[in-house]
Amino acid sequence: MVKKRASFRSPKESRRNIILCVIAVLIAVVFLFPIYWILAMSFKTDAESFGKIVTYYPHTFTIEPWVMNLTDREFLSSLKNSLLIAVFSMVISMVFGVPAAYGMGRYKVPGRKGFLLTFLVTQMLPASLMLTPMYLIFNKLHLLGTYLGPAIAIASGSVPFIVVTLRPYFKGVPTALDDAARIDGCGVFQAFFKIMIPAIKTGVITVVVISFLNGWNDLAYSMTFNVKPEMRPLTANIYKFQSKYGTKWNCIMAYGAILVLPVILLFVFLQKYIVGGLTAGAVKE
Amino acid sequence: MKMTIAAKKRLEGYTFILPGFIYILVVLGYPLVYNVILAFRNVNVKTFKSGTDVFVGLQNFIDLFHDPTFLMVFKNTFVFTIGCLVFQFTIGFVFALFFSKKFTLAGPIRGMILVGYMMPMSVSALLGKNMFDVSSGVINDLFMKLHLIQQPAEWLLKGNTAMAAIIAVNCWVGIPFNMLLLTSGLTGISQDVYESAEVDGATPLQKFLHITLPLMKPAIASVLMLGFIYTFKAFDLQFVMTSGGPLNATDVLGTYSYTLSFTQYEFSKGSAAAIVLFCCLFIVGLFYLRMISKEDD
Repeated sequence: MVKKRASFRSPKESRRNIILCVIAVLIAVVFLFPIYWILAMSFKTDAESFGKIVTYYPHTFTIEPWVMNLTDREFLSSLKNSLLIAVFSMVISMVFGVPAAYGMGRYKVPGRKGFLLTFLVTQMLPASLMLTPMYLIFNKLHLLGTYLGPAIAIASGSVPFIVVTLRPYFKGVPTALDDAARIDGCGVFQAFFKIMIPAIKTGVITVVVISFLNGWNDLAYSMTFNVKPEMRPLTANIYKFQSKYGTKWNCIMAYGAILVLPVILLFVFLQKYIVGGLTAGAVKE
Repeated sequence: MKMTIAAKKRLEGYTFILPGFIYILVVLGYPLVYNVILAFRNVNVKTFKSGTDVFVGLQNFIDLFHDPTFLMVFKNTFVFTIGCLVFQFTIGFVFALFFSKKFTLAGPIRGMILVGYMMPMSVSALLGKNMFDVSSGVINDLFMKLHLIQQPAEWLLKGNTAMAAIIAVNCWVGIPFNMLLLTSGLTGISQDVYESAEVDGATPLQKFLHITLPLMKPAIASVLMLGFIYTFKAFDLQFVMTSGGPLNATDVLGTYSYTLSFTQYEFSKGSAAAIVLFCCLFIVGLFYLRMISKEDD
């Protein structure tokens, strides 16, 4: 998308600009309100957060709900689980996904249409379809109650995503680059790591971020395969904390806010990569 | 024996592709097949432990379609999906058109409202649960201040309103996503077409009906089909926001299949419900695949 700085010279044009901006701000207010709300709630006192009178900002500001969560041992261990599951699933996805995307993008091997079709289909498979059979299989393989179980399952969604997203990137790298690498005496794998991956850095950042978030956001797999709360990530322990905190909405919302924080930070700093990744593979431009 | 260059190239290609492909076959393909086998047997917590499960043919499916709860869940899944699609698509399209106009804040705000799409669905569901709460919920407070309702509504305690609330939360995530995909469709339309139409004196409505819509057809079809697939398989939202309640009013195939397998330990019934879910997705998925494979290569 080419960004053009619009200039509004005539008074009519600048009036139009102001009207459109006002509408856009109203839309933003509606759509960002839930994000504001989770933060506002998380800084309220117990009484204010569950009182009959709804307040639109914390009248008494307190960081107590955040402290409650961040000093809770169960919370900290869930946070650790979330991170480990997200990182493990991201690493597995990258190891299997990136080379496959490269092979699909740059080699005209027989059967490539079938491979592509498989990756496109599997990207859309619902987790609910996998839960029962995987649970029974993981039970036999002693993978229930481990970090690896959910990580393997989550990666099965991220690998096809990576292939579909990165394939066009690899396709777009000029062949002159391969030839130059060959002349320099690079082997196939050396060229892949030293030349190809740096050449499509933008795409690689996109898939790293999104496959990390796939793991971080997962609920179904972690909840099903890890029955013990000590092994569950934050998403899967929401219920446990809801019953622990009861009607203390401020603490529950602080819990949610901490879970959302990394997502918002990644989004703010890496927005262009994330947005690019979301459209890739979905709509062909 | 020496390999030809072509054969060596092929081998290289397969070396890169096969690990990922085999991963998918083992981790998704095998469970998929196993799921079908489960659906035709009577595996539950007892028979699984003792290994005494037997082939029962279509019995699980017959049982499901004679179970009023399942029929309700089946209907709910369609109500939820179609309800979401209607609002997501219409509003998403309007937003895509709106943000394609040139004004100072178009880019930044279009980017900002996408944040909901990245959030864990479980947190969006948690937020929904709080905002639609009867006494301390902000939705009731706002609606009463705007005089839209007289009494606080029991959103999540009544079937129809609970479904409406769930659809609303899903749209918060779905509208930006639809907008994003439709925007990339819009930017693909050349400005020259519009300019020559303007020369011929076309009105904005004529331009929309005769240029934008026809040229957007592939993008629209793809957004609707993807939207169907992603919405139909919803799980996290219902699970956290209402647990499928009140009385299964917001239960969908994804959550019901989970309940059958992991709260009733009827693994075969759960698998059968998941297969019903899969078949619905498969039909729509086929159209989607036919469309994109036409465009590719």
